[in-house]
Amino acid sequence: MNVVEIENITKTFGPVTAVDDLSLNVPKGCIYGFIGPNGSGKTTTLRMIMNIFYPDSGMIRIFGKEMLEASSSRIGYLPEERGMYKKMKVRDLLQFYGELKSSRKVNAEVDYWLDKLELSEWANKKIETLSKGMGQKVQFIATVVSKPELIILDEPFTGLDPVNVEAIKDAVLDLRSQGATVLFSTHDMNVAEKMCDFIFMIFKGRKVLDGTLISIQGKYGSDTLRIRTEGGISALQNLDGVEKITDFGQLQELRLHPDNDHQKILSEIMSRTRVYSFDLAKPTLYDIFLRIAGPEAKEDADA
Amino acid sequence: MRKMFRLAKREYLAAVKTKGFIIMLVLMPVLMGGSAIAMYLFRGQVDTTDKRVVVLDRSGIVTDMLLKAAEERNASAIYDKETRKKVQPAYILEVSEPDEKNPQAQRFELSERIRRGELHAFLEIGPNVLRPKGEQVTFRIKYHAKNAAVDNIRNWLNNTINPYLRKLRLTDAGVDVSKADEIMTWLQVEAMGLISVDEETGEIQEARRTSELEAFLVPAVLFFLMFMMVMMGAMPLLQTTMEEKTQRIAEVLLGCLKPHEFMAGKVLGGLGVSLTGASFYMIGGVFFLRRIGLVDFIPFHMIPWFFAFLVLEIVMLGSLLAALGSACNDPKDAQNLTFPAMFPVFFPMFIFMPILQEPTSGLATWLSLFPLFTPMLMLLRKATPVGIPAWQPWIGLIGVFIFTGLAIWAGGRIFRVGILMQGGAPKLSKIIRWIIRG
Repeated sequence: MNVVEIENITKTFGPVTAVDDLSLNVPKGCIYGFIGPNGSGKTTTLRMIMNIFYPDSGMIRIFGKEMLEASSSRIGYLPEERGMYKKMKVRDLLQFYGELKSSRKVNAEVDYWLDKLELSEWANKKIETLSKGMGQKVQFIATVVSKPELIILDEPFTGLDPVNVEAIKDAVLDLRSQGATVLFSTHDMNVAEKMCDFIFMIFKGRKVLDGTLISIQGKYGSDTLRIRTEGGISALQNLDGVEKITDFGQLQELRLHPDNDHQKILSEIMSRTRVYSFDLAKPTLYDIFLRIAGPEAKEDADA
Repeated sequence: MRKMFRLAKREYLAAVKTKGFIIMLVLMPVLMGGSAIAMYLFRGQVDTTDKRVVVLDRSGIVTDMLLKAAEERNASAIYDKETRKKVQPAYILEVSEPDEKNPQAQRFELSERIRRGELHAFLEIGPNVLRPKGEQVTFRIKYHAKNAAVDNIRNWLNNTINPYLRKLRLTDAGVDVSKADEIMTWLQVEAMGLISVDEETGEIQEARRTSELEAFLVPAVLFFLMFMMVMMGAMPLLQTTMEEKTQRIAEVLLGCLKPHEFMAGKVLGGLGVSLTGASFYMIGGVFFLRRIGLVDFIPFHMIPWFFAFLVLEIVMLGSLLAALGSACNDPKDAQNLTFPAMFPVFFPMFIFMPILQEPTSGLATWLSLFPLFTPMLMLLRKATPVGIPAWQPWIGLIGVFIFTGLAIWAGGRIFRVGILMQGGAPKLSKIIRWIIRG
């Protein structure tokens, strides 16, 4: 069963088409990652799912029903920019948001989450006294405290230190294991690769990727050679069949032309320098992202 | 609905659970009736230092009387009757010969003495004060002091010299001086209400004596109370909505409730704040007037009208203010919109006095039937003792009710678009477009 079904939605703001004929299905109980460069339409899509924006055309169904009723209490929403009453105390704010969402008392849930994210000591402090990371965690709790079945998180990891990223990641995985469906947007490809059952990429308002990581990588094949050599980057110049070299200092990543023989390229490198290690791999999500939305893609488009 | 009430509860508590609200409740009447309260509080704070006044009497007939009057006053009136403590300054009169050759030099010298603090004032009495005819300069009485216009001694001199001169004039006219007081008796035209019949006994009742309290204070208090409540409950909605928008709280809230519930919750919270304030003042006012024995002046029949108009006023203006707040992107936008947004309450303030004096005039009637002004102006007109046709407040109420419905509808449409719209000042054309297109 699909929790979210989007059919050919389009949304324009004046002359700008923010989302263009987009379709998407989000199965129940999965983690679905939204990736895409800034201004590509991620937030607009999420807001349309939340019924904060209405699509100009197309249809959105949530839990099998057309999303005419705004803000279902079954959905938790963490917006990209955090919004909290600075003068309210942490516990009061969480109870307020939880009650507003679920129309019931959520005191026990508030205590549970404060404890889980190590914020119990801050429960009676005002929001304005929290650090940015703590504020993010409070906003996350506000999103999930009402036990929503669908959780929409817009950039949940932005601005968090690694410890807090791990805490939120664990919480998201817990929620998924309890049956919740999680849909989140991120710029962190590493997080998307590791956490998401499905990845969806939007670029200039249009869907450019949609599927599991394996299926997405499968489209590109094993065209990436990661190699560590004695000569480093200087030994890898002007190799036939290599489309692009990315230098990481100690390691270089070579994107190979699909029609070329990998063995031949490797032999050529070995004839130039001593090879310490190599790995023929599928491109990372980061690399795929850059291929679609990076300067290289822009050059291709211009050409 | 429940979510809307939850938001309203937060709005209400956020406003009333602050020291600022309590201070505001106390300060509002102080600000409104500041000078009257200050006068009351400082009534006992009198400078009891003796006041020395030089008298230049060119008539030659006033000095003796003045000296005697001052002596009598200084002997009795300046002391508290019970404690015998000095509570007023003594008036020490110093008689000087007027310098007829160089009067300006004498005036300057006396002025210099006042500046040096040796004197409080000097009094010049014209030669013809008994027969005030011909050139005015000859029968003027001039009181020179640092702050002569608001000086109590001047009042005392007025009330002492004039009755004396009148008596002299009557005597000159051959009137028996013993009857002078009777002749001079001033009879006040009393302000009376209309005769009515007691509904229970059927007896015709005596007309009640009306007073300034009834004619001015009752309508004014109700009018300004409504103004204060609008400032307290509706006005902050412009600012708080703008803040919720700029601090991105609005987006979180819109993830929980519909835009019209969001706006309604805010307005409802503001209404709660106003009703709390109004109830506080109403109950406090009734209690206070009972204590001082002025219970007859409490316009109990106006209280339901007051609350009916207050509720509609807050909902009507609150919806529009919240909607305008949603169209703002920064505090400057909100500041620019404050005056136009508050025009429906400022305009009645401007025309308060003319409406109070002529509550049944055509202009007063028509303006009070214009829904944006109805709550304040109709309330003001109805509270005057003059009485307005009974149908007018009802028509006004219906008009405001319908207009409030429209305000909620239009406000909701502006709010829905504005609350998520970033960038660009809130232009009128844009706001109208949002209302039409939604």
